[in-house]
Amino acid sequence: MFQGQAAPENQIHDFHPPISPSGLYWVVQVPEGALLISPDGRTATLEMKNVPVVDQPRWPALDAVGMPATMSFRMIWKATDEKIVYDDPQKQFRVEGYRATSQLEAQVKVPSIGFSWKSDPLSESHANFAIIGDEVNGRYYTPIK
Amino acid sequence: MSSTNDIRSSYTRRSFLSTTLIAAAGSSLLLLSDDTVAANKPQSRLHTYNGSTDPYPIPWLDKNGSHNQPAGPNLEPSHIFHFKGRVARCADFAGMGTDNKGNRIPFGTRTTDYGYMQGEYFAGRTPQTGAFTHI
Repeated sequence: MFQGQAAPENQIHDFHPPISPSGLYWVVQVPEGALLISPDGRTATLEMKNVPVVDQPRWPALDAVGMPATMSFRMIWKATDEKIVYDDPQKQFRVEGYRATSQLEAQVKVPSIGFSWKSDPLSESHANFAIIGDEVNGRYYTPIK
Repeated sequence: MSSTNDIRSSYTRRSFLSTTLIAAAGSSLLLLSDDTVAANKPQSRLHTYNGSTDPYPIPWLDKNGSHNQPAGPNLEPSHIFHFKGRVARCADFAGMGTDNKGNRIPFGTRTTDYGYMQGEYFAGRTPQTGAFTHI
């Protein structure tokens, strides 16, 4: 979030989960039933409530202090008709799917500073890049012959 | 020479037998004691030492020295290595919101990205299943 233009010097909040001890980056487990994917894999809705996160306004500075916060959000992906295949034998991954549209609505709370924020409805947001599909990597990856 | 007349020998045998019996009894008590303690130990103290069942991050580092995966064309959507399953990714968000004081505050930059990974991943020497999100 920014005060004024979206530039690092104007950043006033940055919400994300902590990095895990293994190095897994801003990843949290999705509770049962929170992620709904259509049978054809072309549409997905992810909705989670009160996810523990931190607010680190000075991220990515190494000494950026974090304040405990919570985040609730609903996000939707919808596939377009544009197919994608990303295959990288060096990095051992392959993705097959579609370019997509994605929209988000969210709510955050930082109790220690008495701050809360709620986004406009989902329909008012958009992402300029989105994909949806299937991936294999690491030990599950085999190069396309 | 009769052993009954051999005080030293008699003493030694008696002493040996006594010592053996006491030692045996002591061992039994110790064994019993160990068994009792073991029976009372919580199961969580038994380990397989197979490593964590948490997912592994993608090994490559980003420019900040983190295991972050930027979102974009031809980039890997998953944050989990040794993974197969369903994924989605999005980035470069733009949106607006309102804080509790009524201030209109925009959110989103080119690097504001989200994603999910649902399926099988390998950890703790065996396949695991789960769903995760990068937020």
